[in-house]
This record gives sequence, structure tokens and C-alpha cells, in this order.
Amino acid sequence: MAQFLNTVFNGLSLSSIILLTSLGLAITFGLMRVINMAHGEFVMIGAYMTYLTQRIFMAALPGSLFSMYYFAAIPIAFVVTFLLGSFMEWAVISRLYGREIDSLLATCGISLVLQQAARHIFGAQGVNVTTPKFLSGGITIGGCTFSYNRLFIMLFVALILFAMWFVIYRSNFGKQMRAVMQNRPMAQCMGINSRKADNLTFGIGSGLAGLAGCSVALLGSIDAGVGQNYIVNSFMAVVLGGVGKLLGTVLGSSIIGFSGITAESFTSSSIAKAIVLLIIILFLQKRPQGLFTIRSRSLDE
Amino acid sequence: MNKFKKHGVNICFSLIVVGLAVMPLLLIGNVVDAPLIIFLGKCMAFSIVAIGLDLIWGHTGILSLGHGLYFALGGYGMAMYLKLQATHGAITEFMHTGGLTELPDVWKPFQSLPLTILLILVVPVLAAYMIGYFIFKNRVKGVYFSIISQALTWAVYSVFIALSPITNGNVGITEISSITGKIRGPTGQNNLIILFYGSLAILALVYALAVFLVKTKFGKLLIAIRDGENRTYFSGYCVSRYKTFVYVLSAAIAGIAGAVFVNFNGSITPSQMTIAGSINMVIWVAIGGRGTILGAVIGALLINLCEYNLSSGGMIEIWQYIVGGIFCITILFFKGGVVGLFTDQIPALMKKAKGGKSDAPIG
Repeated sequence: MAQFLNTVFNGLSLSSIILLTSLGLAITFGLMRVINMAHGEFVMIGAYMTYLTQRIFMAALPGSLFSMYYFAAIPIAFVVTFLLGSFMEWAVISRLYGREIDSLLATCGISLVLQQAARHIFGAQGVNVTTPKFLSGGITIGGCTFSYNRLFIMLFVALILFAMWFVIYRSNFGKQMRAVMQNRPMAQCMGINSRKADNLTFGIGSGLAGLAGCSVALLGSIDAGVGQNYIVNSFMAVVLGGVGKLLGTVLGSSIIGFSGITAESFTSSSIAKAIVLLIIILFLQKRPQGLFTIRSRSLDE
Repeated sequence: MNKFKKHGVNICFSLIVVGLAVMPLLLIGNVVDAPLIIFLGKCMAFSIVAIGLDLIWGHTGILSLGHGLYFALGGYGMAMYLKLQATHGAITEFMHTGGLTELPDVWKPFQSLPLTILLILVVPVLAAYMIGYFIFKNRVKGVYFSIISQALTWAVYSVFIALSPITNGNVGITEISSITGKIRGPTGQNNLIILFYGSLAILALVYALAVFLVKTKFGKLLIAIRDGENRTYFSGYCVSRYKTFVYVLSAAIAGIAGAVFVNFNGSITPSQMTIAGSINMVIWVAIGGRGTILGAVIGALLINLCEYNLSSGGMIEIWQYIVGGIFCITILFFKGGVVGLFTDQIPALMKKAKGGKSDAPIG
């Protein structure tokens, strides 16, 4: 029983981390069809922002307030990556709409530059974030321990997911955004500023990567390549779930997370990773569009 | 002049070959040192893989972010043979450490040279065929293919790390000499020169094959697939078959390149297989100029030579900024890369300048 609970908890935890890093992609790739290879670097920037906030709190504020740094880090990481993403969209991506592969490559170049910049500023050595007091430790139920920071990440993902759902499907801006992505000329005729919608959408996608960075910072040491560890799984989660559907991404990352943990109980973790990816690739042969598809009669959807 | 325009690309390549061929003579004359020659040898290997990448990306429009996989497969094949030469067929140190008592079955075919050469071609070809056949048949295309190829490379990379008793994990296969014998140090100079000319011949052959293919009807079809896949389908061609073929071909070329690389490098590590390594290859092709076989060669030579020269100073720090920046700018503004600059942009500018002059008196 304890074994089973443990597996479920680890699976949930891994899925929530993958989901967190793929939510931003679900927007930039899923809605805008832009493959942002620098997404992993935005995660890395979010993690470094958490580290910086911690340093500032350590230096400027009394020790009793120290644990609060994490709450400050979340909006800071979001805003910084949002602005960076929005700038990137304006400077690079906006020139490459309709050239999917080229936008993939251009963001690859950006990711190289960002990685080197991180190495320059923070050094090649990884840095660590002190887990806030209220997140250290855990509760023990039925013989297995649930650590608070993993529970926190799950809660965090649930909150972000709700916020995203609200913004995309219930707010006025979300309606405009979906309109632009589905039928650009018609949306423009209705008086929607499509340039602005593009820019905001990409900014939000990048900002979500920053938020993911905040929780990645809790999990281990941060270095310039930290984003690369998550990027492959995140892309696969979005593709597996079906491009353009929020629910698909949720399901996709849970499948990758749970099957990863299950496979891990039989073999080593790196073989497990490989097995999961191979199974997904095989599955995509059967359904190249992923689990959820937007029905369309167009030839190239 | 017209003739130059028509054959300019090939003349350019011949000049590169001649330039490379002179290098060993300079080595004998003590003008350049052996490390440079070894480095140029690696550059030739990179040029070969870049040609393969240009065939599938520049001409067919399939962007593979996982060509490092085939490069490494070829490289490992060669390295296994060379390692067994070094140990005289006995099992290696790392296998001992990994708890093996006799040579694993995977290593056994690599005791003979002909079989090794065959496997260097066959393994990447089979792997690429299995992947390509299903992926292209199911019409996975564009960025989806790129993402899947990336994930696949990553998966194989983790497997290589995990199978460390056989592959020596992260360290890879090291301490091997080349196929012609020892190439490092003063005693190896002759071996190095033979190896260098051999590799140059392979580069020239691969280039000739690629240029020939592109000129034929098959090459035209590849371009048709790139520019209008659906139209090609409707014209009655089985696009997936063509795509699979060219993908397999480029995998074989990458395998050869990997084998050449190992001879010069003296070791192979799984880092050749990483996503970053595969993206580097794409960068060479993009900067050199996609869709022109020559561009791939120029890009690979140019970028690697720049990196080689810069890394000796303190410039290695800023190198990644430079290459990332140039890559971005190339994608944004110079789709044709370096070659495109000379064949399209500069003639266009000259025409404009000429046109401007003739317009001036009227205006």
C-alpha cells in the first residue's frame, strides 16, 4: 500500500513539474504555432530570478522575513520573463510568422546566447536556493512521506492552470487571443489589434516558463543548462496531448510523468526516460496529431 | 563569365579542396603544426555531415535536430574497431570495471575491418530507415518531425549513458589511434598525411555524389517536396518514399562523417549525440547557406575554424554569443547564408548600383 501511494505521489509530482514547464509551450506552440526553443532558457531565467530575490532578501531584510522571499520571487520571475518574451516576439518572432522552422532555428540561436549570458553572469557552477522554511519537511501518511515542496508545486500548478483556463476561455482578452489564432484576417476586421494580441500571448507563454523556473529552483541546483533538462519532455507533452488544447497538455504531461515513474520502478531512470519517449513516438505514429485534435478540413492541419 | 556563373560553385569547392590538399605539404615544410592538420581533419568530417544535412534540410525541407545520433553511431562503430586494435581483441578496461568477463556480442563484429566499414554504413541506414519509414509514411512533417527527432536522439543518448559497461557511459571510448596507425607526435606524421588525404577524398566523393543527385530529376523532386509537398503528392509521386530515401542517405553520410571524425579525434563521447551537437550541425548549414551543397562545406569549415582560432585566446567566452547572434541574423535576414550573400544579395546590390547610375542622368 505504501509502495503504491509512493508511486502515485511521485507520478503526480513528476507530472506536475512537466506540466508546469509545458504550460507555457502549450500557449506559444499550441496556440501560436511558434516553436520556442528558448523556452528552457526562460525556465532557467525564472529559476535565477528566484535565486536573485533570495540574495536580495538575505542582504536587505531581517531574517524573520526571509522565508517570504519566495512569494516575492514568483511575480518577479513572471514579470521579467514576460518582458523578455514580449521583447523577443517584437524583435525576432514577429518577423518569422508563417516560417515555422525558421522561428524554431532563430529561437535556438537566442537560447545559445541566453545560456552563455547566464554562464557569464552567474558562473558555470550551479547555485542553490534555500527552500523557504514553510516548505521544508513533509507529512507522513500511511508509511510514506509527502514533502511539502512537492505538494506546493502541485498546488501551484493547479492554481496556474485555473488562472490560465480563466484567462483563455473566460476573459475578454482570451477571446480576442483565440480569435486571432483561429482566423487572423477576420479577427482584424472585427477591430482586434492582432499584433498586440500576438505580443501579449507570447509574453504570457514566456512568463509561465518563468513561473515554472520558480518551482524548478526548489528541486535542485540551478545552472545555465537547467532548462534543457525539461525541454524535451515538455515538447513531447504538448505534441502528445494535441496542439492547441489545454486539456491535452494536462493529459500529455500526466502520461509522461506516470509512465516515467512506473518504468523507473523496473529499470534505471535513464533507461526509463528512453522507454517513455520511444513509446510516445510510437504512439504518435498511430495518431500524429496527438490525443486531442481540433477538427479541420484543411490539408495541412 | 557565363561559364564561371554556371560552374562557380564547383570551382569554389575545387579551390577549397586544393587549399586543404596543400596543408599536409606545409606540414612537411614545417610551416604549420600537426594539431592544425588534425583539426582540419575534424573539420572535413563536419563538412561531410553538413552535406548530408543540407540534402535533407536545404533541399527537402526536413529539419532533423537529431543528426548527431547517426554521426555518433558511425563514430562508435569506428571507435570500437580501433579500440579492439589497441587491445588486440581483448576486452577493455571499462568492461572489466563494468563487471564483464568477455567481449559483449555487440563488439564482436568490430574485430574485422571490412565488417566494421560495412556496419558503419548499415547501422545508421537501418536506424534511419526504421525511423524514417514510419514517420514519413504517417505524414509527420515540419516542426513535428524536428521535435520527434530531437526526442529520439535524447532517448538514445540516455540509453548510451545507461549501458556504461558496453559503451563506457559519459566518458566514451578513448585512447585510440587512427585507422592508419598513430597520428599524434613526430612519429605519426606520415600516418596523419595518409589519413588526411583519404578523408579529403571521401569529402570530395560525398560532395560529388550530392551535387550529382541534386542535378538529377530526383533532386528536382526533392525541391518540389520542399516547396509544395501536397502538390507533389497530387502529381502522383509517393513523397514519403522519396523522403525516407533521402533521410536514409543523409544518415549514411553522417555515419561516414562520424567514422572519419573518430580517426582524427582519437576518442568518441556521447556528447556528440546531444541535442546541442545536432543543433550545431544545423547552424553550420544555415550560416554557410542552405540548399547549396557548397554552403554546407563552407559553413562547417568557417564556423569551426573561427571557433578554433578564437578559443586559443580568452575569446571562447564570447564565442557562443557570436555564433548565436550570427545564426539568428542569418535566419532573419540572409536566408541563403554566406553562399546566398555572394550569389543573390551582392549581385542584386550591384545591379541596383548600376541601375542607379543609369537612372541618374534622366532624373
